[in-house]
Amino acid sequence: MKKSTKLGIIIAGLIIGVIASVLVLFGNPTNMGFCIACFVRDTTGALKLHGAAPVQYIRPEIIGIVLGSLIMAVGSKEFKARGGSSPLTRFVLGFFVMVGCLMFLGCPFRMIIRLAGGDFNAILGLVGFVLGVLVGVFFLKKGFSLKRSYKQSVFEGAAMPVIQVVLLILLVAAPAVLMFSEEGPGSKHAAVAISLVAGLIVGALAQKTRLCMAGGFRDVVLFKDARLISGFIAIFVGCLASNLILNAVTENTFFKTGFAEQAIAHTDGLWNLLGMLLVGFACILLGGCPLRQLVLTGEGNSDSALTVIGLVAGAAFCHNFGLASSAEGPTANGKIAVIIGIIVVAIIASCNTFNKKNA
Amino acid sequence: MTYIATFYSHFGAMKFKKKCDKCGWPATLMPVPRTLSSSCGTCVRYEGDTFCPTEEMPDEAEQIVRVLDDGYEVCWMAEDS
Repeated sequence: MKKSTKLGIIIAGLIIGVIASVLVLFGNPTNMGFCIACFVRDTTGALKLHGAAPVQYIRPEIIGIVLGSLIMAVGSKEFKARGGSSPLTRFVLGFFVMVGCLMFLGCPFRMIIRLAGGDFNAILGLVGFVLGVLVGVFFLKKGFSLKRSYKQSVFEGAAMPVIQVVLLILLVAAPAVLMFSEEGPGSKHAAVAISLVAGLIVGALAQKTRLCMAGGFRDVVLFKDARLISGFIAIFVGCLASNLILNAVTENTFFKTGFAEQAIAHTDGLWNLLGMLLVGFACILLGGCPLRQLVLTGEGNSDSALTVIGLVAGAAFCHNFGLASSAEGPTANGKIAVIIGIIVVAIIASCNTFNKKNA
Repeated sequence: MTYIATFYSHFGAMKFKKKCDKCGWPATLMPVPRTLSSSCGTCVRYEGDTFCPTEEMPDEAEQIVRVLDDGYEVCWMAEDS
């Protein structure tokens, strides 16, 4: 492994960690400078695809990540429109990734940010996530494949980035047609320009370094290669250091250790674990965590774009049917959905591993 | 000569490595180098006289490149990739 490559991903991780912490200073919810799942869910709500009033806002960070990745990919001639690798299966997997994330209340990215804020509940999430990755790696070794992707038209690859531009125009020029939270997490956000620039930087850095939480653990297990995981350790270190400094120099709370009364989190360890187990398992089958799916979307991958649409559908479903957890804890519907999710993902894994005759 | 073969699936890479092992070609499974691709899948780095140990191209192979001092030379690429 080239040392420069590893140093690059560590520097990128440190920068992203600091950005995640500073975004809270500028107005984002505590321990939620970034959360791909939560921000996709908020955007889904702003478009009136679900009716949960506290979580509705078009998050410019999501737009920025896709466009930052696009700019970096075009600049380095890595933009390639491609797709056709089991797109509907990816949609279903994306749907259940969101179900798992909204059980835990965060994606793998926010899991690290919550740990850096002293939220011990995220330790259970991390354990579940690693277990899910191990189950996914088992299927990879046994032959799991969603089949190859194919070259597509530029229009197909550019569609999702164009949709992001449309969302940005709506946010800036026509906010009256959207729903915005007046209280709750959706009402807490940095200024549009700050969020957008933060997203652009994170998207560009993640494209350049291939940052991926699921890929990080996968590479450690499969190859004992710590390059990708070092990026996320760096995010933790950067975010933790920034949180401790901001905790000391401001009146707001950026770091508080313990399980109880953590920001936008619940203390049900079992369901934190199972939610992230579902996420880790599905992410390995998808080939990347939600952040990576956004970055690949920016590179022109329409399969990842469909995965993101699966996340959107999952978010709408979770809030319309009472599956999403809250600070009070998980819901009965949410628990059933996570169990169903684990079963469905296991069936998808099995059918695409052991059923090669139908390939 | 040193080659790198990239694949659409981890299992495809595993199968190709076994073929290399059978032919006595030194081969290693590893993550795709960032300098080669922005994708983060599995590849096989191997030593051989030609770029493929068998007449048929390996299943689920995406591309095969020869490793040069200053980069890579594409030897083969899957159709429509």
